[in-house]
Amino acid sequence: MIEKIKQSVQFIQGKINVKPEIGLILGSGLGDLADDVTNAVKIDYRDIPHFPSSTVEGHKGQLVIGELEGKIVCAMQGRFHFYEGYSMQEVTLPVRVMNLLGCESLIVTNACGGMNEQFQPGDLMIITDHINFTGANPLIGANYDELGPRFPDMSHAYTPKLREHACKVAETLHINVQQGVYAAVSGPTYMSAAELIMLRKLGGDVVGMSTVPEVIVARHMNMNVLGISCITDMAIGETIEGITHEEVMEVASKAKPRFIKLVRSLLQEGDNQLWSI
Amino acid sequence: MSTVEKIKAAEELISNKIQKKPSIGLILGSGLGVLADEIQNAVRIPYSDIPGFPTSTVAGHKGQLVIGELEGKQVVAMQGRFHFYEGYPMDLVTLPVRVMKAIGVSSIIVTNAAGGINENYKPGDLMLIRDHINLTGANPLIGPNDDAVGVRFPDMSQAYSPKLLDLGKQAAKNIGLTVQEGVYVGNPGPSYETPAEIRMLRTLGGDAVGMSTVPEVIVARHSELQVLGISCISNMAAGILDQPLTHEEVMETTEMVKTQFLAFVKEIVKRMDGEKK
Repeated sequence: MIEKIKQSVQFIQGKINVKPEIGLILGSGLGDLADDVTNAVKIDYRDIPHFPSSTVEGHKGQLVIGELEGKIVCAMQGRFHFYEGYSMQEVTLPVRVMNLLGCESLIVTNACGGMNEQFQPGDLMIITDHINFTGANPLIGANYDELGPRFPDMSHAYTPKLREHACKVAETLHINVQQGVYAAVSGPTYMSAAELIMLRKLGGDVVGMSTVPEVIVARHMNMNVLGISCITDMAIGETIEGITHEEVMEVASKAKPRFIKLVRSLLQEGDNQLWSI
Repeated sequence: MSTVEKIKAAEELISNKIQKKPSIGLILGSGLGVLADEIQNAVRIPYSDIPGFPTSTVAGHKGQLVIGELEGKQVVAMQGRFHFYEGYPMDLVTLPVRVMKAIGVSSIIVTNAAGGINENYKPGDLMLIRDHINLTGANPLIGPNDDAVGVRFPDMSQAYSPKLLDLGKQAAKNIGLTVQEGVYVGNPGPSYETPAEIRMLRTLGGDAVGMSTVPEVIVARHSELQVLGISCISNMAAGILDQPLTHEEVMETTEMVKTQFLAFVKEIVKRMDGEKK
């Protein structure tokens, strides 16, 4: 596995002459942010050794490395999901690569369903913690001590200083943000009503099909993590009506300007120390 | 053979053996296979003759498709099903549902023997499934999606057709049968649950627990089949009564309620839409 990661990293390093500091994983509908990256080097996933390619509509499938709000970022325009049939190691390979390219922080975004009745479709939520309900863990298997410890701590999976920073920046921008726990499931089926009630009872505020594997690997490598969810639909078990991917994309698209503004300001406002380990 | 090829091969073989297309599919659980013996003008096809089909390994499961007439409707019954715990991958467990769809089925009645979690239940109760919780740790739709077969993210908010649920209740009333209504938890098995696991499942909102049904229902919904689920509460789950669980006990109870179960399903089939003779 280590050899594969290193080959991916070397390939990318051959194409860039900067060292990215912050990794961005752009979820459903947020990929446009990568178009704002300047002096950008764009690398198709298909060209990167060992990278799988994304199969979901609305996900482009390239790494975009360059400058955004004065920071050198490495953005994933499109990500890999467990439900697409990739192994957890494939799903999280880009995070390994980002870290070895130099990123000490990761901003991970997603679209999700809101289980907390206080939330509304279109809300943005700073992830305070997660529940791994995917049925898997990307670290199962031999551990490579040079990448991280055998038993990584998850007590502060989402870096407190970055969460504080995000809330502060949102306040300045008058963007109302929620805070809560992201419950991750494998998908690709949306949750049944009984499953939604269960996940809420377990302490989940939102539910989605990504993020958690990537965050586990980021923490394994001791990266700072900031997670932001866009709540695209309400997923209240007692009252849920049917939902389609198209509806999700529509709300995501409406929330996009706010979401992009928040992420750009986050990058602009934070000093280098904030994003370092 | 790919799944699509298997479906096609199975469809061809079956279509050549039958005169009329079935519109209702029946999946018969542990001890409930006897219903297939009631099918008239039956064509019986052992699973071993069907391309791509595995052979069922559990005692009490025969392993054949029975296609013919029940209560004036054309039905196809699975006498014996495939379980995840037998070591079959999820796409093989659910292959028969795909095949049913391919030969013309539009609704399925899926039955199982389940342990009672809800303390108001007693062995021998029949339960209409209102909803499920997938705790198998897997999902049959993980992997690339074939858009010709179904959507990438199938809605599960009404996995069990409210219309058929009502029809089931009416059918029970009509034959003077008291039925329960509840949430079925799908576990992988093959170990029965511990008392601690049963307490957990009760907290999570489960009323009955078993080792089947959920994968089949997910694939049925992906294929846009209407689903009615019936559990036979064959025993009270671990920790409720001070006695160990055995497969023999399950078989004894299903034997005991056989008459009721048969009458119930036949009454349901009679009331369902479907091609009459």
